[in-house]
Amino acid sequence: MALLEVRDLRVSFDTPDGTVRAVRGLSFDVEAGQTLAVVGESGSGKSVATQTITGLTRGAQVSGTAFFDGTDLISADQSTLRRLRGAQIGMIFQDPLSSLHPHYRIGWQIVEMIRAHDTVISKQAARQRAAELLTLVGIPRASERIDDYPHQFSGGMRQRVMIAMAMALDPALLIADEPTTALDVTVQAQVLNVMRRLQEQFGTAIILITHDLGVVAEMADEVVVMYAGAVMERAPRRDIFYRNHHPYTQGLLASLPARSGDRLTPIAGSPPSLISLPAGCPFAGRCPHVFDKCRTEVPPLTDVGGDPRHQSACWLPHTVSEAIAS
Amino acid sequence: MNNDVLLKVDDVRKEFPTHSKEVVHAVDGVSLEVRKGETLGLVGETGCGKSTLARCMAHLYDVTSGSVWFDGKEISTLSRRAMRPVRREVQMIFQDPYGSLNPRRRVGSIIGDPFAIHGIASGPERKKKVQELMELVGLNPEHYNRFPAEFSGGQRQRIGVARALALRPKLVICDEPVSALDVSIQAQIINLLADLQKEFDLTYVFISHDLSVVRHVSDRIAVMYLGKIVELAPTHELFGQTRHPYTRALLSALPVADPDTADSREQIILGGDMPAATNPPEGCRFHTRCPKARADCAAGEPPLISVLDDRQDHRTACFHPLTIGEDMSTAVPDLKAS
Repeated sequence: MALLEVRDLRVSFDTPDGTVRAVRGLSFDVEAGQTLAVVGESGSGKSVATQTITGLTRGAQVSGTAFFDGTDLISADQSTLRRLRGAQIGMIFQDPLSSLHPHYRIGWQIVEMIRAHDTVISKQAARQRAAELLTLVGIPRASERIDDYPHQFSGGMRQRVMIAMAMALDPALLIADEPTTALDVTVQAQVLNVMRRLQEQFGTAIILITHDLGVVAEMADEVVVMYAGAVMERAPRRDIFYRNHHPYTQGLLASLPARSGDRLTPIAGSPPSLISLPAGCPFAGRCPHVFDKCRTEVPPLTDVGGDPRHQSACWLPHTVSEAIAS
Repeated sequence: MNNDVLLKVDDVRKEFPTHSKEVVHAVDGVSLEVRKGETLGLVGETGCGKSTLARCMAHLYDVTSGSVWFDGKEISTLSRRAMRPVRREVQMIFQDPYGSLNPRRRVGSIIGDPFAIHGIASGPERKKKVQELMELVGLNPEHYNRFPAEFSGGQRQRIGVARALALRPKLVICDEPVSALDVSIQAQIINLLADLQKEFDLTYVFISHDLSVVRHVSDRIAVMYLGKIVELAPTHELFGQTRHPYTRALLSALPVADPDTADSREQIILGGDMPAATNPPEGCRFHTRCPKARADCAAGEPPLISVLDDRQDHRTACFHPLTIGEDMSTAVPDLKAS
């Protein structure tokens, strides 16, 4: 059994303009010690999905299940979720400054977090642990910097502090939502390196939410490609890049600035409104291979080339992926 | 000044005071030329001074010292009034398609602003010109009366492009024009900018932190670190014949969307953070993080010159430039050795 099994997750929000169907029937597994990358553009539902799993979406209508180590996170009560968050499931977000309290020293914040879950640990031991964690994520002179405030750290260092906090109780799963998007590339390389190293050392499973296909290629074991709240394709990393099936996956890759210096190939148009989704495939309006059936019937996620690890939600034949792949 | 040169930046410095009476040396002695019809890329990380330099180029900032020349004329000393005719020829496109458009004004009047400010066209004639511009950048001219909020991010950036092009400028300075956009939309805007450059003989300065974008659009690239240009070269040389250790580190840090390359390459992970621009290191500013640093790097500042057997066009500010094929991943700094 996988560490996390999400089945048919649906999340919608009521707004004055209508119901926003942010996540529409999402299923995926995360295996222990593996990295699952969830990739998609703005509004694809990638962040809402994981926030819902950890009980962080408010005022949403949620259905489906998300079994983590035997507990359904969707139906679990707040106290169960609180116990799991931090201890079993660590989380880091795009903007570390808004996740750290500006008024408290970072050491104090890590100690609080440890003691919230571990009621027997002494203050002294928790502080010792905090210093170890800061060293672990590569913060120089950790024993001195433990008494600094968040604003005294650079963006990259703050994100390391967040990772230290997320890893404090040795969680089985780390959810990283665009962890390096706000960082410069050289700092991003440092932070991704820290995440890789910790995963090797502690066997932590990672859900990496990103819009950056470069980061996916560097980090992922498995990849889920989301569009308009649904999975378009899921596959092991190399299949997504070299034997992809879904026209949206192909469009994303073709949009990247090429090495050749030739003209780019964007995806025409823009994503559909999540309030009034078209019938059929959500990508039909922008798809270069669209045909009649695409506009009327939603394609199910089915195996590509008979491989259950590689699935695509597209009406194009699923046996000729090599021929279609760009 | 050479005929090919449209804009020349000569030893420009821009300092900002801080509350604690320190001085931020945002741009610290930069000289470069932008040639007619080219796209000059400007890359570097947060705080390297690239956006400040761009604003100095457009004389949106007064320079602390040095000079900026546009089309053979010094513009860095011009008054607001004297600058006006130059503004028609030098335009900017900004990163944030949300923050740079007034949400309470209709796009027609936003795009028509340049005509109004310069008293060029009014009434139905202005509307006609605006709608032509909208068509040109791929917006539906019927959406003339809509508000910015009714457009997506990519469409808003098209509005910014239309506004910048209204007066048929010679030079457009694009400051992170696609950084806020999703990749599929980013490609649309990059293609649009390329088409417009061809159609109107535009010259671009293209600023981005994203090397893969800069590589795609630029003829030449200047790499900045802590207020200085560390390497300036034609694009293919900057990538194929990288000389500066910082450029190499920057290239190496860029994630590549190709699993085979990602798995096989040796990444260079720089230590530490970029030092504060209030108190930049002595000597070469990169020496505190450079894997190849030696004693002379801390002692003196390397000039931006052509090194080894490079042509005049490829300039590097480094005492120990990389040779072709040199492996930097195993280099260790030694500030005692020369």
